[in-house]
Amino acid sequence: MTREPTPPEASSEPLERWNDALTALQLLQIDPHGFGGVCLRAPHGPVRERWLQALADLGLGLVKVPGSVDSERLLGGIDLAHTLQTGQLHMQAGLLQQADQGLVCLPMAERLSPALLAPLVQALEQGQVPPTRHSAEPSVTRFGVVALDESLPDEPGVGAALAERLGVWLDLHELSPSDIHADWTDANSEGLHLRLSPGALTRARDQLAHVQANDDQMQALCAAALGLGIGSLRVPSLALRLACAHAALNGRQALEANDLGFAARCVLAPRATQWPAEPSAQEEEPAPQEDVTSPQEPPPQPSENADQAPDDEAEKDKDPGPPPEPSAEDLQEMMVAAALASLPPHMLDALMTRQGANSPQSSGRSGQTRAGSQRGRPLPPRPGRPGGQARLHVLATLRAAAPKQRLRQAHSTGRVAIRVEDFHIQRYQQRASSCLILALDASGSAALQRLAEAKGAVELLLQQSYARRDSVCIVAFRGAQAQLLLPATRSLVRAKRAMTGLPGGGGTPLALALKMAHEQAAQLQRQGVTPILVVLSDGRANVTLQGLGGRAQAQSDAQSWGQQWRASGHRALWIDTSIQPDAQAQQLASTMGASYLPMPQVQSQRMASAIERVRSPQV
Amino acid sequence: MALTFPFAAIVGQDEMTLAIQVVAVDPSIGGVLVLGDRGTGKSTAVRALADLLPPIQVVKGCPYRCDPAKPAGACPVCQARDPKSKVVTERQSVAVVDLPLGATEDRVVGALDLEKALSQGVKSFAPGLLAQAHRGFLYIDEVNLLDDHLVDLLIDVAASGENLVEREGLSVRHPARFVLVGSGNPEEGELRPQLLDRFGLSVQVRTPQDLALRVSIIKRRDAFDKDPTAFKALWHKDNQKLQKRILKARELLDQVEVSDDMLMLCARLCQQLGTDGLRAELTLLRATRAFAALQGHKAVKPEHLQSMAPLALRHRLRRNPLDDTDSGARVQRSVQEVLAA
Repeated sequence: MTREPTPPEASSEPLERWNDALTALQLLQIDPHGFGGVCLRAPHGPVRERWLQALADLGLGLVKVPGSVDSERLLGGIDLAHTLQTGQLHMQAGLLQQADQGLVCLPMAERLSPALLAPLVQALEQGQVPPTRHSAEPSVTRFGVVALDESLPDEPGVGAALAERLGVWLDLHELSPSDIHADWTDANSEGLHLRLSPGALTRARDQLAHVQANDDQMQALCAAALGLGIGSLRVPSLALRLACAHAALNGRQALEANDLGFAARCVLAPRATQWPAEPSAQEEEPAPQEDVTSPQEPPPQPSENADQAPDDEAEKDKDPGPPPEPSAEDLQEMMVAAALASLPPHMLDALMTRQGANSPQSSGRSGQTRAGSQRGRPLPPRPGRPGGQARLHVLATLRAAAPKQRLRQAHSTGRVAIRVEDFHIQRYQQRASSCLILALDASGSAALQRLAEAKGAVELLLQQSYARRDSVCIVAFRGAQAQLLLPATRSLVRAKRAMTGLPGGGGTPLALALKMAHEQAAQLQRQGVTPILVVLSDGRANVTLQGLGGRAQAQSDAQSWGQQWRASGHRALWIDTSIQPDAQAQQLASTMGASYLPMPQVQSQRMASAIERVRSPQV
Repeated sequence: MALTFPFAAIVGQDEMTLAIQVVAVDPSIGGVLVLGDRGTGKSTAVRALADLLPPIQVVKGCPYRCDPAKPAGACPVCQARDPKSKVVTERQSVAVVDLPLGATEDRVVGALDLEKALSQGVKSFAPGLLAQAHRGFLYIDEVNLLDDHLVDLLIDVAASGENLVEREGLSVRHPARFVLVGSGNPEEGELRPQLLDRFGLSVQVRTPQDLALRVSIIKRRDAFDKDPTAFKALWHKDNQKLQKRILKARELLDQVEVSDDMLMLCARLCQQLGTDGLRAELTLLRATRAFAALQGHKAVKPEHLQSMAPLALRHRLRRNPLDDTDSGARVQRSVQEVLAA
């Protein structure tokens, strides 16, 4: 028996999502730091503006932290400008301390540097700012975070370390102003009334301290999270807090299905990494919850599942009354249904196809760029002499000179006295890191045994890249599609795993592969990584850009994407793997501006050294 | 001061909690590396560390928290004091210092004290995180993503036990003996082998898949979040018990005997696994001894070795970077073979 996906249009209605977003605001007001905060994914536009306006109207302390903030402003420290100006020491409180009992708002959170995120996350988790050099005691500050994520769907979002700790993930990407039109008009006249009155707020906060979840509810929450493939234990914890706040908002002492449903929609659903296992499959899992409670419960019927969400909505309207206590399974069913119903359709498809996936699809871009050497990224300045490649870092130099002004009796001359030992130089990372994009032909013409050879060679390449601390990205193409087998990563283990699972056979959609490689390259370029393309193929394209057969059209499509690559100016290497190399691949390679290397028998060592040559042509 | 989740209340993750306790018994083992996914309680366990250890005696007013019982190797402040004057001591809890990823070099090693320089025109040294972590723990979350220049610093200090600052006209040498605790997700990046080597034990954590276990974790977390003080009080007794156990183990540590047979076993194991250098043997030996002491045994037995070998050796195997089999299993297999031989 397969479970039907809940019809997406049942409740992923834009208006409902908008209402959830507004409810989240009210919950923030009741419990600003309990559930971490909100990660709002939406482009700049009227919808987001509206939400932010409502956020500002809440009456909570709201501190905006721009990406350019320095650590002294963030955590507190010396106010350098003021200090230099007056010659007296001036300290400033950090933005995080100012945000105590309020919210920290991070615009363009997806662009924040790891150096900024790390102390923020630390403060968020511990509820205090670590002692700095200037204060021996840590200062307590509890705040929630509102992270505004403007990333496009194919771009990496907010750093995983931060996103993980923010309870509510809202996606208002596809909402247009007309979707929220219903309250748009009347709101224009008088604004949204989201702010709770002081009395109501105190009542709700009092209530919050007493909201209790019963065992079944906890159980259901954990099971639902597990079923959706959410491994982290922080997530159900945050969901529970959110559900409690939701109950408090509605003036209840005990959690109800409604509260859990809201938490499932806002916390669990956006993090889902797998389609919940079938009831039959669930029984094979190590800890089937049937063992623990009410064993008589039969596996749920699909119809019941689909009805759950509307039922839940209907409950909201009528007086709850004393409904029969739902069992843990019912609750879990309800939560999973609510979570799935709130997902947009394309996400559902993605989940369906990745059934049983264990790891989240991206391990966070921040990780790669952090350790990576990116061209033009400044490093912290260091003491040193300017000249040659080193440039003077004026601010750091002044900072170094500032404390010694009295010693040097600068006031007598009226100038800032700077000595050589104060000089700080700017540092950039020298070598831009590169990423090897491997386009791997897994089609039938590339023959299975040769694919195995290629895999061996690729492993050698991966090892080399590892030694160079470069990242690798693999695009495999066969049949009617090119597949991003492995997004840019430095983890060899992942790369190898991706390679071993690669099947062979089918047509050669070369154009699709080149297109995907091109897209990947553009994305890497934006991150400051130099892409290098290595194509392992015989060049006999026979699948067009549309995924249809047709040799002539396929060739011309491949040619046109080859030209695109040439226009981008990135380096490329074409390794012709056919037994009898012919002009076709060579011509395509020259169109791309790629080096061409026929290699009827894949020789790992030779291939590796060829790639090495492409990578560093000057040597 | 924000309250931390009580150590005794941590459910599951037995290997991790065990490793932390073993290191608490004998800090000379050299630290713990915890690798695993997010949200598995890594940082919770580390931050709860302070619970395990009794307060230490420190010289009052000393920024480096020197040990009054060991005047040798003292910090500049204590050395400057008149040796005849009576040392005033106070009790402080063991420090667990966080080293955030983006920390500057100044912040880590210490730098010129701007405040004093500006207000009094005095050139003096403001200790950094390394000084704060002296005699305590230095915790680095996402250690695999740490900047290279910080890694270099740490490698040096962790090996020598002292921090040497020669910059901005300062020349300071102060003790910095700390237990390095790192955590991270290996999928996001690998650790430099040199840094890896500085960690005595390494643990792999996975998200518990057992539903009942997960529920109980969430329950406790919720109870703690609702009322940290009450929750802490509830677990105070168990925490005390744990603390006593560790104290007892520490006393016992010197009496634990390691027979020559056991030494041979350790050596043979390391040989078979092909670990580099002698550090592996030493660490394994210390860890096994500490574990025996923790169990209240006066002699090291093969089963102690069996439990400690994966922790102490897992990250020291010369590994094909493409090989993703669990090194712990490999160690376990070798232990079986060596014990059987």
